[in-house]
Amino acid sequence: MTDHRPLRGPATDKAARRTGAVRISGLSKRYAMGGKAMTVLDDINLSIRPGEFVSIVGPSGCGKSTLLRLIVGLDTDYDGEIRLDDTRVAGTGLERGLVFQDHRLFPWMTVAKNVEVALLNQKLPRDRRERVISEHLALVGLSDFGDAYPHQLSGGMAQRAAIARALANEPKVLALDEPLGALDALTRVKVQAELQRIWMEAGTTMIMVTHDVDEALFLGDRVVVMSPRPGRIARIVDVDLPHPRDRASPLLHRLKDEILAELTREPREDDGTLVTFPGRPRG
Amino acid sequence: MKRLASFALALAFPALVLGWWEWESRQGLGHAYAFAPLEQIARSFLEMLADGRLALHAGASLQRALTALLIGGTIGIVAGVATGLSRVLDRTASPLITVMRQVPILGWLPLVALWFGNGDGAKLLLVSLSAFYPTVLNTQKGMQAIEQRYAEVGRLYGFTRSQSLRMIAWPSALPLIFTGISQALAFAWIATIGVELLFSASAGLGTEMMAAQVAARTDIVLVCVACVGVMGFTLNQLFALLRTRLLRWQPATAK
Ligand SMILES: Nc1ncnc2c1ncn2[C@@H]1O[C@H](COP(=O)(O)OP(=O)(O)OP(=O)(O)O)[C@@H](O)[C@H]1O
Ligand SMILES: [Mg+2]
Repeated sequence: MTDHRPLRGPATDKAARRTGAVRISGLSKRYAMGGKAMTVLDDINLSIRPGEFVSIVGPSGCGKSTLLRLIVGLDTDYDGEIRLDDTRVAGTGLERGLVFQDHRLFPWMTVAKNVEVALLNQKLPRDRRERVISEHLALVGLSDFGDAYPHQLSGGMAQRAAIARALANEPKVLALDEPLGALDALTRVKVQAELQRIWMEAGTTMIMVTHDVDEALFLGDRVVVMSPRPGRIARIVDVDLPHPRDRASPLLHRLKDEILAELTREPREDDGTLVTFPGRPRG
Repeated sequence: MKRLASFALALAFPALVLGWWEWESRQGLGHAYAFAPLEQIARSFLEMLADGRLALHAGASLQRALTALLIGGTIGIVAGVATGLSRVLDRTASPLITVMRQVPILGWLPLVALWFGNGDGAKLLLVSLSAFYPTVLNTQKGMQAIEQRYAEVGRLYGFTRSQSLRMIAWPSALPLIFTGISQALAFAWIATIGVELLFSASAGLGTEMMAAQVAARTDIVLVCVACVGVMGFTLNQLFALLRTRLLRWQPATAK
């Protein structure tokens, strides 16, 4: 847990990084609902290379958040297998991080203290800890808001603070659940570029759920397209373009059309996206 | 302008009552006894202020209420945290507390008088008990209602049990704990005057009220009543300020 990689150091040679591989095989997840079991994820198989950026898209309710929760170990009740570098996932760990769909900053702590939460169980000397916090606040453009409380931030700012918190302890694998969903279009494009830069520098394996196909393609080495009820992988699209990418690339546009076609392939008469479960927090 | 209007409105009703009072007091001698003329009340007030009697009794009551709040509130918070965190303790202690709470504070009076006499210790015990209930119940409720969403963040960052307690359970319970303390403050103040009225031994506004009633000094009774009301109100307002200051992380709508 005492990984002292320099934060703004030279780009890590991704090929040389051998840790941060995620292997998911035969993964199924059922929830008991009103006495009967409901299959949310069915036979998911996915192998993610160390340092890879995988985007996940799919209709609402197809189990994307569930999948991320399983990967980070918040939920350990599943069939099949999830391995991080050959160790079976059996709970949470500092080497796996998650940016929640809702920001989940502690309302009783300032933004800086919230970022510090991620470093509490890292053995860092005090001054270095302070530096990591201020560097990460700067990274997401919140340098002036370290002393603000979450309720004093806009939705987008809170989400950026949550990203700073997740990045601060430099996990090997970072899962992101629609991290930019609350951002306005302009900030969104900016943070996407930031995220890409951070990812390229840190070499973290990233798995990001998004509803935005452009975003999925701009950032992902691969885009996993899921289909609902039960949640399955419908298709995996390789985005064979080097980073950093040009948004105007014709390849991205062609792939976007393909993915959109996939997502709207079979018309579903009872659209599950309209079903909501009162009382269950999103994410 | 709007503030001025609402201020005038707030004063209108008391002014009306005072007018009616003064009118009653002029309806003959019998009336003047029950409704001491305003002028006489004012005179007694100034007199009590000048000879330090008011300060003595008000100070004694205030000290009693705050000491009891400290004792009962502290025990209440500790007990609330303990029963809020431990199922076993909750099962053992909570039913007893719930049953005891059904007995009004003054219902304990005969027993307490029998065991401890009617000295300051007995008074303090009863007032502390009145401060204990709201703190223990609210603290317990607060500790039990930890939001799963935040607990998950703790799990993600490998929080130890003590870290979860200090950084999640305690702060998220704080608003309810403050609600408990502010209720305890109000109850302690009421109970203080109550036990002073019934155990008239040492200084206190309640004791003075009782003595004034026996001496047929309605004017002094009224000065004490007004003093109790104003002090209770002020305590409440001061605590509300403190609460806002300490819970400044809360969005304004939650206050
Ligand atoms: N704790 C739970 N108990 C029962 N069912 C659940 C629970 N959590 C999720 N589900 C169900 O699992 C399915 C997938 O939920 P999940 O949150 O993973 O969807 P999602 O793909 O993230 O959707 P969205 O895009 O709207 O966030 C939903 O049908 C939901 O009803
Ligand atoms: Mg989701």
